[in-house]
Amino acid sequence: MALKDFLTVLDALIEQATAAFATAADAEALEAARVEFLGAKSGRLKAVQKDLGGVDKADKPAAGKRFNEVKQDLEALLAAATARLSGGGSTKSAEAAFDPTVPGARARLGHLHPITQTIAELCDIMGRLGFTVAEGPEVEDLWHNFEALNIPLEHPARDPLDNFYLATAAAGAGVPTGEGQWLLRSQTSTVQIRVMERTKPPVRIISLGRVYRPDTPDATHFPMFHQIEGLLVDRHVTMADLKSILHLFASSFFEDDVQVRFRPSFFPFTEPSVEVDMSWEGRWIEFGGAGMVDPNVLSAVGYDPDEVTGLAFGLGIERICARRHGIPDIREFFKNDVRFLQQF
Amino acid sequence: MIVSWNWLTQYVPLAMSREELEHRLMMSGLNHEGTETVGDDLAIDLEVTSNRPDCLGHIGVAREIAVLWDEKLTIPPAKPKEAGPPVNKLVRVRIDCPELCFRYTARVVRGVKIGPSPDWMVRRLATLGIAPINNVVDISNYVLMECGQPLHTFDFAKLAGGQIIVREPSPGETIEAIDHKTYRLEPGTCVIADAKYPVAIGGVMGGAVTEISDRTTDILVEAAEFDPLAIRGAARGLNLHSDSSYRFERRVDPGNIDWASRRCCELILELAGGTLAGGVVDVGPAAPARKTVVLRLAQIPRVLGIDVPAAEVRKILTALGNVETRADAKRVEVIPPSWRRDLTREIDLIEEVARIHGYDRIPQDVGVPMVASARRPEDRVMEKVRGVLVALGYDEAMTLSVVDDATSAAMSPWTDAAPLVSRTPVIRGADRLRRSLIPSLLAARRTNQALANPEAELFEIAKVYLPRGKELPNERRMLALTSGRSFHQVKGAIEAVLAALDPAAQIEAVPAELPLLAPERSCQLELAGRVLGFLGEISAEGLKQFELRQNTTVAELATDELLRIARLIPRFAPLPAYPGLSRDLNLVVDETVRWADVAATVRTHCEPYFEHLQYVDTYRDPKRLGPGKKSLLMALALRWRDGTLTNQEADRVRDEIVAACRAEHGAELRA
Repeated sequence: MALKDFLTVLDALIEQATAAFATAADAEALEAARVEFLGAKSGRLKAVQKDLGGVDKADKPAAGKRFNEVKQDLEALLAAATARLSGGGSTKSAEAAFDPTVPGARARLGHLHPITQTIAELCDIMGRLGFTVAEGPEVEDLWHNFEALNIPLEHPARDPLDNFYLATAAAGAGVPTGEGQWLLRSQTSTVQIRVMERTKPPVRIISLGRVYRPDTPDATHFPMFHQIEGLLVDRHVTMADLKSILHLFASSFFEDDVQVRFRPSFFPFTEPSVEVDMSWEGRWIEFGGAGMVDPNVLSAVGYDPDEVTGLAFGLGIERICARRHGIPDIREFFKNDVRFLQQF
Repeated sequence: MIVSWNWLTQYVPLAMSREELEHRLMMSGLNHEGTETVGDDLAIDLEVTSNRPDCLGHIGVAREIAVLWDEKLTIPPAKPKEAGPPVNKLVRVRIDCPELCFRYTARVVRGVKIGPSPDWMVRRLATLGIAPINNVVDISNYVLMECGQPLHTFDFAKLAGGQIIVREPSPGETIEAIDHKTYRLEPGTCVIADAKYPVAIGGVMGGAVTEISDRTTDILVEAAEFDPLAIRGAARGLNLHSDSSYRFERRVDPGNIDWASRRCCELILELAGGTLAGGVVDVGPAAPARKTVVLRLAQIPRVLGIDVPAAEVRKILTALGNVETRADAKRVEVIPPSWRRDLTREIDLIEEVARIHGYDRIPQDVGVPMVASARRPEDRVMEKVRGVLVALGYDEAMTLSVVDDATSAAMSPWTDAAPLVSRTPVIRGADRLRRSLIPSLLAARRTNQALANPEAELFEIAKVYLPRGKELPNERRMLALTSGRSFHQVKGAIEAVLAALDPAAQIEAVPAELPLLAPERSCQLELAGRVLGFLGEISAEGLKQFELRQNTTVAELATDELLRIARLIPRFAPLPAYPGLSRDLNLVVDETVRWADVAATVRTHCEPYFEHLQYVDTYRDPKRLGPGKKSLLMALALRWRDGTLTNQEADRVRDEIVAACRAEHGAELRA
């Protein structure tokens, strides 16, 4: 007998047996199927075993191997069908069977917004580094949003096109074109001014919250976003402290020994000013802005720049959160699709 | 600012690789945006911060390179040959608006031949993406990109009266610019006019009439300085942003105006021929002399945290163009160069030393002193609140603080004052600072409905902005919920939040009428007589207004009230020593009788045994109870602090309660 023919017989056998065992509705039917296929005397497997003797000698190992596989499969099919009919192994097949594979009765859990989670993580790390959270108003006056931050009247950052000035309540004032009295704050540095105005040094705070800047919404911009800013003012605070704090911060956040790099930049309220990069997964990524508090800012809040120095740093939370979770479009943060929220 | 590699080599040797150049410029303040190959040249795009307009020209960038690589900077002397009559015989210049135009210089070249520029100039401009026009216009662009000083060239023959008047526009005055569009000139704009008409919008764009054409033979070269704010206003107002306005907005080098004019004339003579009239017409005061800036050497380690040797400090400052006037062991005094207006203070010099010395030399591992820091009570309370709501299946939403008029008007439970308004919408029509979070959350619910999300249980913790007249608004942080669950389920969530903050907190529901809410299914929530917030089901009209198809319950709570009651560190209460007893009560009352009133009666009549009263259910059956009747089911837990409570005593209390409820509420015990 050719090997091919022998295997064909085996395949047909297993196919028919599978159907017979699966459809057996009760123990009697199952027993009949058992006798038909696995009967010790005249079962069909027994008959095939006789054919094995007629297979060419060279093909015998392959044929025998396949025969044994089929035999084991048939025995497994019988065991499964027996278990099925007896209700998970119980002998009392009539009783309702307990099924541990049915999903648990799970309560729907809510999820914290990913921005909240990122803020919590950042505050937690900064808290361990000795920084205390401070907050301030989102509607600000010109002193706190600009002047005290060394942004004088002629500075382009005060342009009405770059800020959300509030309309004045005074009726009949016409359409105002210049600055307003108040605006939606464009940065959380305003909080630093408010804290310094009412606190004597040393100050070690992080300010955070919503900020507003006119931007057409796209994947990386939104006119409202969150900022977190750190401020440390004391005697003997240096740029080395700034770099070291950011190094500790980044190493905690990324759970790795992250390198910190400064690139010169320009911000009105810090001097020197730098952009901060961090090495992460083999490349430099932009982390945020930082610098030493400008002496004009220290003077504006009544500190003596010859007595104390300060370091400050700030970063956008949406960007860091998006990178952390691989979110490609920051508009998702404010759409509030529960399928999005439930992912975090 | 795009710079050409080949062009830079005219001023400074470039022995380094392209990558090294890009990297070191980036690390010293000129961020590298990208590099493209243009022919045999490289176009290197550098980001120049607003404090460094000196780097808005090739010479400025070359100077940085010379300082970084300790190379010599070579600047063309720009000494064109003068011939013929002095220029002040040919042209008169007057500045009528010195607050808009600080300085105006003019030179005149006569007998030029307009034609194409030579290849070398065309190529250099092409690297920067500037298309050639003709030799004279190309030269003014070239010098702009060489040194950062914008120039303008006029067809001198077209200037009426041989006169330049720098003035504000007269009312209704217009100009046809070189883009052949006519612009109306607003007050505050600096206009360059001849004896009759405006011929240019100063610092922004030239006029069509005096534009250089193929027939032009005589040229007036303008090199001036304009007020940055006026330039910004004009460029914005006319929507005309140019390389020139960009540089005037950031201020040009007052010490370079004449050089740029001479350089322009030199190149005109070289490439277009002609003769240069003698001298210059120079109107406006010279820039005030720069003041000495003192750098105390001890300030360097005080600010940077590292020492920089005095010799290096002096070398850096001098290489950058500062003129050292004095130096000793403790201090260096310098006069900053005219092109560095940003250097006026000691801290400015420290930054220069730091960026050239290299921020990479500042260590990242100094020991920062430890200090104690505590989490704020509000953060701890909000964390508890969030934890409870998340456990109850609410997702945290985040919505925009500013809403449109209709959304703002939909509900304002905390104030009757009109909302604060942003002059420009923050996003599509949204210009009202919100006074309640509820409308925003209803909109978020509608979004989820549109997305066919079966459940949208949302909460948000954010501020509302309650106007206070002349004071900055009262920014109160609110907790708001929207839910597809019932009034009582949402009320249960609120009770769970309160219990997490203070297990003893007793919430009271007081009737209230609020827009959007169904009046009979809403209430004001109070804690010990203070308003905590609002809770209710959205009315049919409210659902329609927000296009919601399913029943919706909302609530808004003032988090400052939550903070008031929160017991962040609970105190231990002794556990009871004696067993308690429970009694179930089933009281039939009129429909109008409220649970809270019955419960109050029950409580007062259990003393001193009261432990807990649990509401179980309300049962209605007109056949058995009679019409207009309901049965309140409750479970009462009694316990005596000082001994074992007997069954007889518990029964006596129950009977007393029943009697009291009969007297006060017409209640009958249901058998």
